[in-house]
Amino acid sequence: MPTSKELIFTALADAVVEMDEVKVLAAAEQVVAQGININEGINKGLSEGMRRVGELYEQEEYFIPELLLCSDVMYVGIEELKKHMPVDSSEKKGKVIIGVIEGDTHDIGKNIVKIMLETSGYEIIDLGRDVPPQRFVDVAIQEEASMIALATLMTTTMGGMDAVVKLLTLANKRNEFKVMIGGGPVSKAYADKIGADGYASNAIEAVRLAGQLIEGLSA
Amino acid sequence: MISAKERLLKVLSKEKVDRPPVICTGGMMNAAIIDIMNLSGYTLPAAHTDAELMARLAEAIQEQTGFENLGIPFCMTVEAELLGSTVTYGSLSCEPKVVKELYSSVSEVQFTNNALTASSASRISTVAEAARLLSSRHPELPIIGNLTGPISLAASLVDPVMFLKELRKDRAGAHRVLDYVSDKLIEFASVLIKNGVTLISIGDPTATGEILGPKCFAEFAIPYLNKIIDGIHLQGVPVILHICGNLGSVWNLIPTIHSDAISTDALVNLKQLKDDFPQLTTMGNVSTYLLESGPAEKITATVERLLAEGIDIISPACGLSTSTMLPHIQLMTSIVREL
Repeated sequence: MPTSKELIFTALADAVVEMDEVKVLAAAEQVVAQGININEGINKGLSEGMRRVGELYEQEEYFIPELLLCSDVMYVGIEELKKHMPVDSSEKKGKVIIGVIEGDTHDIGKNIVKIMLETSGYEIIDLGRDVPPQRFVDVAIQEEASMIALATLMTTTMGGMDAVVKLLTLANKRNEFKVMIGGGPVSKAYADKIGADGYASNAIEAVRLAGQLIEGLSA
Repeated sequence: MISAKERLLKVLSKEKVDRPPVICTGGMMNAAIIDIMNLSGYTLPAAHTDAELMARLAEAIQEQTGFENLGIPFCMTVEAELLGSTVTYGSLSCEPKVVKELYSSVSEVQFTNNALTASSASRISTVAEAARLLSSRHPELPIIGNLTGPISLAASLVDPVMFLKELRKDRAGAHRVLDYVSDKLIEFASVLIKNGVTLISIGDPTATGEILGPKCFAEFAIPYLNKIIDGIHLQGVPVILHICGNLGSVWNLIPTIHSDAISTDALVNLKQLKDDFPQLTTMGNVSTYLLESGPAEKITATVERLLAEGIDIISPACGLSTSTMLPHIQLMTSIVREL
């Protein structure tokens, strides 16, 4: 028999997968009522739900509209649970600077990667879309980030990724940050060519790649 | 000798021709590269808002690249701007874009019945005037008027992340907005057709199988694409539709689209598409990454493969980088034209 704690975690995860805000709030209330560790509720309930959403996305059961709605429910759950944390004691795996290269205002892909990284426990600083290369470098240094994640959907703006890597080298900071790239026109070959640390073809892969690059997890 | 215009029109009506046309539609997939702008002196962003400059730049692109068409405009923001979103015109090397959508939700959209033609100050009239100039100067060349597809236009009018969520959360609202932008797009197409464009090309980069999935693509993309295409067909003009990204999840839906040709991204196996659906007229799909970085031998090999596979219209697979080398494009067009 599953313990009631496990049932609550399952309810949290199901609520995320089913895009059900009401259910996530009810399950979050249970976490608090039963005195369950808040971080455990986030990791074993909500994050587990997003992990399943990621699987459904990879299996082409879910697409971008579903991913966005699932993550909204996840955030509703997190907000509710965080009210009951004395201080923000959530565990973070590392800080990632993310943004879309200057010239490109398509940010759906970037937003999905951001959501998946955030729900996997990384702290994300989102520079938004249309970001000049120098700004990635400046913020990464200032924030002592672990990684810079660069996205573009356009061939026309790929060069900005190259510029970020070059600026890091120029500032003698290339070895202080991992650089991950993604987006329609780029590839593993392009990542190698510009000297980035890795390429991810979708948001789920980006989480795996971040694990490998930041935490040294195996593939 | 058959003219470039006749050849393209024949291909689009599934008639036999001597060889495939090699074209670049304009709009999202324009070839306004830096080299051509510098050589010709007709430059962006100025040409986005000046009809004569727009026509001159289209001519310079055609002359220097060897593409067998003229294509206008050079962006995907004309319609969104007209409907009230905030747009910047970019720079020489950077395309215009929507900086702020007018609405944050489909429920806020105000539907207006103002006819597009009435707004003479808008860039619709700039594009229309450029079409008129080009059609009077070049009766032998096809002139392609480019439209932003309904999903992309709706996601340029309403915040795109919210719009995608509302495809599930507020289906009726999303349908209303898509129907509205589709009517506006048919009106825009009419204005262009009255001013002499030979055909319409629709690019809808947000309407991909990868983003929407097959259910949303079938419910929200295809009906409105078909509504617009049917509306244009009623005016006696053919339509090309470009679909971005991989077709995988929506592969079987492609034949239900009413366009006269389907253009795809480089990662799509066009031969497979042709084999599976012989009734389709296929267009594409020379990688724009290849056109930018080469090497020349690979460009030659790709174009020759597409020709051998019987692809009906040869074209770049996506928007060209503004730093694409002109000789690479010339190589691509010359292989096809020398057949």
